[in-house]
Parts: sequence; C-alpha cells; structure tokens
Amino acid sequence: MKWRNLGAAPLPACCRNTCERRPDPPLCLLQEDPPTGVSGAPTDNNIMIWNAVIFGPHDTPFEDGTFKLTIEFTEEYPNKPPTVRFVSKVFHPNVYADGGICLDILQNRWSPTYDVSAILTSIQSLLSDPNPNSPANSTAAQLYKENRREYEKRVKACVEQSFID
Amino acid sequence: MDSFKQNDGNRDELIIQQQRDIEKEISDSTPLVGEQLPLTCLWAEYNGDDVFTAKIQDLAKKYKFIRRTRPDGNCFFRAFAYSYMEYLISNNSAYKEFQKLAEDSKDKLVELGFPSFTLEDFHETFMEVIRRVSPDNPGGYNKVQSELHKIFNEQGYSDYVVVYLRLITSGKLQEEAEFYQNFIEGDFTIEEFRHQEVEPMFKESDHIHIIALCAALGAGVRVEYLDRGEGCIVKAHDFPEGTEPTIYLIYRPGHYDILYPN
Repeated sequence: MKWRNLGAAPLPACCRNTCERRPDPPLCLLQEDPPTGVSGAPTDNNIMIWNAVIFGPHDTPFEDGTFKLTIEFTEEYPNKPPTVRFVSKVFHPNVYADGGICLDILQNRWSPTYDVSAILTSIQSLLSDPNPNSPANSTAAQLYKENRREYEKRVKACVEQSFID
Repeated sequence: MDSFKQNDGNRDELIIQQQRDIEKEISDSTPLVGEQLPLTCLWAEYNGDDVFTAKIQDLAKKYKFIRRTRPDGNCFFRAFAYSYMEYLISNNSAYKEFQKLAEDSKDKLVELGFPSFTLEDFHETFMEVIRRVSPDNPGGYNKVQSELHKIFNEQGYSDYVVVYLRLITSGKLQEEAEFYQNFIEGDFTIEEFRHQEVEPMFKESDHIHIIALCAALGAGVRVEYLDRGEGCIVKAHDFPEGTEPTIYLIYRPGHYDILYPN
C-alpha cells in the first residue's frame, strides 16, 4: 500500500518505516480498485516514470481509442502533481500539441490525495467533457463549439491513429 | 494540426520553472521551522520604521520569543501544528484527548468521502508524529521538544502533517458547508474552495481555514496582526472568539510565525 510514497520528499515513508509492507510497484495501483477504462504501471528502469493507457470513453467520439500517456513524478509528489502528457496524438480542446494537458487537478486544484487512478479517471472524463473556455488547442475548441461534426471527424482520425501507435 | 497553440504550453512551463527557482531559493535559505529567537529580533527587519518599531515594542510586552516558519504557503498549518504539539507535550490530558481525536479523524474523513487508500498514508504518518512527541516519552519535555523540532524540519514528515491538517480542514468545511459558505467571497462553492484553496499544498490560509481547523480540533488560536494599520498597538484576534488560546501566532501580511507569551 506504500507504493504511493515512492516519490515523497525527501525520504519516502516506505523507507522511513520498513519496506516489507510495500507490494511490487507495478501491482499495487490498479489491482486494488481498478477503475474501468484506464491502466498504468511504472516503466521497467525508472519507477518515477509511468506509462499509462486511457481507453476512449463510450458514447463519445473518442470511443475505441487507446491513448497512451506518460506520467512523470518528481520527488515532490504527492505534494505536487506529476507531469502528465499524452504520447498519442489527441485532438481535444484541452490538450496541447505536445500532449500536455490543461486540467485543473494537475495544476491549481491538485490534492495530495490523488493517486494514479484518480488522475487517469479525471483525464478520461475530460475527454468526455471538454472545457472549450480554457483552450489548449484553439482549433479543437472552436470546432467543438461551432462545428461538432468536423470536431468529431478530427477526433476520430486520432482514434484511428491510436490503433497504429 | 498547424494551429495548435504550442507557445502557450511552453510559456506555462517557463512560469512553472521560474516558480520552482523561487521556491528553491526560499527552501535553501529558510528552515521549515526555525529556532526560538527573542521577539525584538523583528526590529532588524523594519529598521528605523517608526510604526513597526512602536508596534513591536508593544508586542514585546506580551511575548518574549518568536519562532519563524518557512514562507512557502504552508506557514499557517505548519506553525499551528508545531505550536499546538508544543503545548500538548506539556499537557498530558490534552495530549491524550488530541491523540484520540486524531485517531478517529481518519474514519470521519473517509465517511465524508475522502479516498481511504491515500488518506491512510497521511494519517499513519500523522499518528506516528503524535506518538513521537508523547509527553510520556523518556527524557522529559526538553527531549521531546527537540524531537518535535527535528521532525518538523524533516520535509517528509513535516509536509505530511501539513497535508493531513489541510484534509481535516477541508473535511470540516464540507461537514458544515452551509455555515462556511457564508465566509466565502465570490462565486466559489464550498466544494470548489476546498479543492482550490484548502487541499492543495502551498496555498495560503485565510480566516476560514483557521476557523475550520480550530473547530475540527477543538483548539484555540490567538493571532497578533502586525501591519501598517493605525495606532501603536498590535491587534489580536482569537479563534474561535472567546476561547482561551493555546496557540499564539503572529501574522504579517502573507505570513504566519509562532509566538511565545511571557
């Protein structure tokens, strides 16, 4: 259960106490209480960098897409949020060209109680409910508001691209 | 995809980098909680300023020492926790009462909807800190006090204590949302306020944080306000009003430190 403290500065709780209680890191997150449609695990050689996948939510143009992300923790986690980026191309009002995500809980509404499941679930709901008033991609925001069909077409192109990636 | 606004992303990163640099400068130069210093050391900060000199003189009649905390936005919570635990070390029955309250607080927060999986971490660490500053520990007050000081300057522990107090504060706001809604300016709902101004680390505290935390823990705080306001007297405010304080803090715009009454 102590996986979360891996990044706590400067001396993680898992080391302050004993390491015995800590399960293997890749197993500890999503087996406990796996939310649907997301998954993630640390990379083999660096526990501070996680790979994750979000499945496009049903009944949205993102449906069937498998979008890859990286989650990069610093030693300040959980006091500060990790950096989360889409690796897959995502056409969305709140996703920057470089995959960066404009989401309040990853910025000014970060709570130290958020774990990887909470982060991924929030990003998944952002896919369903974009916030076009705070655009990271102005074209996507504009199309979302004014030309939903074209928006959906562009999103679906990303969905198809996500199969190939 | 040429119309992606790449520049905005880069600008955000630059701002974040600059913030990091400033934070690092502060953390390199100021301990999380400093040593006890004579109150009159404040004079040096306001060298020659008549208003402040007079006010510090007034304050020095009531308080002998000050203990500074790092100005990182967590100063209220850190100062509160340190000062309260210092009081508890010398008051066995209050300590026992607080330990019980802290122990029970986790279930209460889970009931209020906080995620138990992650909450547990903070709660465990919080309880460990409380155990380590028990008045029953061998060595007496001085030994336990120096343990407290050590713990509060270890970032891992110190910040976890702050996190947990923020969660307790947030829980109280939620529990009595109807009452606390009256204190919130603007269009914020309690829910939004908790997520934006209470739970995130490094967010500064306002009266509403103080009131909610005091109410949740049954503690009393006196805050002395040292600012450029009229007169030569430093105004004090007790939270909750009419309660005998066990924690004394000095507030200078944007920052809280700990005070020690005569």
